[in-house]
Amino acid sequence: MATTVRTLPTERGRGGRSWYPVVAILLLVLGVGIYGYLQELSEGMVATGLRNLGPQGGATWGLYISFVIYFVGLSFAGISIAALIRLARLDTLRPIARMAEVLTVICLMLAAMTIVADLGQPLRGIVNLFRYARPQSPFFGTFTMVISGYLFASMVYLYLEGRRDAAVRAAQGAPYARFLRVWAAGYADTEAERERHRRTSFWLSVAIVPMLVTAHSTLGFVFGLQVGRPGWYSALQAPAFVMLAGVSGLGMLIVLAAIARRTLRLPERLGPGLFRSLGLFLFLLLLAYLYFVAVELLTNVYTGSVREREVMAELLGGGYAWLYWSAIAGFVASVALLLGWLVLARLRGSLWPLVVAGLLVNLGAVAKRFLIVVPSQTNGQLLPYSEGSYAPAWTEYAVVAGLLALGALLFLGFAKVFPIIPLPDHKDAARREP
Amino acid sequence: MNARRFLVWSMILIGFGLQALAYLALAAPLGTPTDVSFSEPRMPFAALVFIVGVGMVFAAAIVYELLPDRWLRRRKPQR
Repeated sequence: MATTVRTLPTERGRGGRSWYPVVAILLLVLGVGIYGYLQELSEGMVATGLRNLGPQGGATWGLYISFVIYFVGLSFAGISIAALIRLARLDTLRPIARMAEVLTVICLMLAAMTIVADLGQPLRGIVNLFRYARPQSPFFGTFTMVISGYLFASMVYLYLEGRRDAAVRAAQGAPYARFLRVWAAGYADTEAERERHRRTSFWLSVAIVPMLVTAHSTLGFVFGLQVGRPGWYSALQAPAFVMLAGVSGLGMLIVLAAIARRTLRLPERLGPGLFRSLGLFLFLLLLAYLYFVAVELLTNVYTGSVREREVMAELLGGGYAWLYWSAIAGFVASVALLLGWLVLARLRGSLWPLVVAGLLVNLGAVAKRFLIVVPSQTNGQLLPYSEGSYAPAWTEYAVVAGLLALGALLFLGFAKVFPIIPLPDHKDAARREP
Repeated sequence: MNARRFLVWSMILIGFGLQALAYLALAAPLGTPTDVSFSEPRMPFAALVFIVGVGMVFAAAIVYELLPDRWLRRRKPQR
């Protein structure tokens, strides 16, 4: 009896035994987050640890804003990798292009939601933002460029890049065929369609790269241009934001690529060359970021104003020292791990050093974002108020955990219904060969 | 210039036009603030107009790729 072996692409997530428990746990965490947010909505911001500056001795921006910056930072590497793959023809990284695009879209949505969580009256805040925003304010740039323009551009990019795979999967009779057909929107893989797509991808990439640098710099300017805020006012804020964004995003991509390689069993497509490129990029960006940290530290300690030095003293030896030195230790350990993995052949057999480095830089990035946002408010008062303090309340932890769970759920859900690794395109590969 | 390109370029130009209009003419005036008028937008929701402009520029990419050839062919005799 003849047997037909039907080899469907395996780049779509399989609903293995572990998928459902993971989703159940994430749903539970999301539920706790929603409960925390409802508490905040019903009781007001007093349910959080956020308090007014000065007389109330608190911080008006805390864990939420730290995570807004973290999420936007994660999105940076996603779309920049996707755009650079197209512009610089980095074919080694092509298999993670879609993963990077999805990471960007999800992180920008999470960033927008975190801002809503930070607003005591979300509806009023959102309406007033659109009503009164001034172009001179970095907030205008942050919300128009980052949250709307950048998110919309990333969604357009993800959608158009996925049309071919949607058409292929729909033609193969894959599950969720109706959804796939809607995505494909009549794509027939003709030469004219391919040519149009090549042009669109190129110009979208050209538009996205400067926009994302502008967007992340603007986010840095929200802090860096506040002349009356010691610890924030610095010319290095914008470039350092871009650097740390790249570090955290690349670290997350390494972790996601390693998970995809293991769960989808794709050691050939997600091969050593891809991880070597990602590891090298992360290593170089991390060194550049540490250089920025050192320059800022020396400038503030030696020539900063009295208030500036007080904030630095709090970071280096005060109440925030444990977090500051933990972040620095995490970054330095990541440098050592990456260097070891890149140089020592016996370490390259395993991806664990890379994955650990990816996780460490992300933990470090969260800590650094918190340390940028909070100490200046509690210990950088120019007016004669006593030192303040800030500790996130359980509602804030719950909301942030819920958002992280939501992000993971969206990613897992996407990977379940759509090829998270682009399907091989033999036509395109043949065309690019000399 | 074919109809597809005409439509796409129109969207891009209108999108950038809306951004410029919102930024320079509808939002709060640029320059050193001397009175309270510098804090008020000249037209409420100017920021939204700017965002619509940004969206329109990027939506042009979707129109460029998705506009079916047969739609363009059908439109041709009408012009």
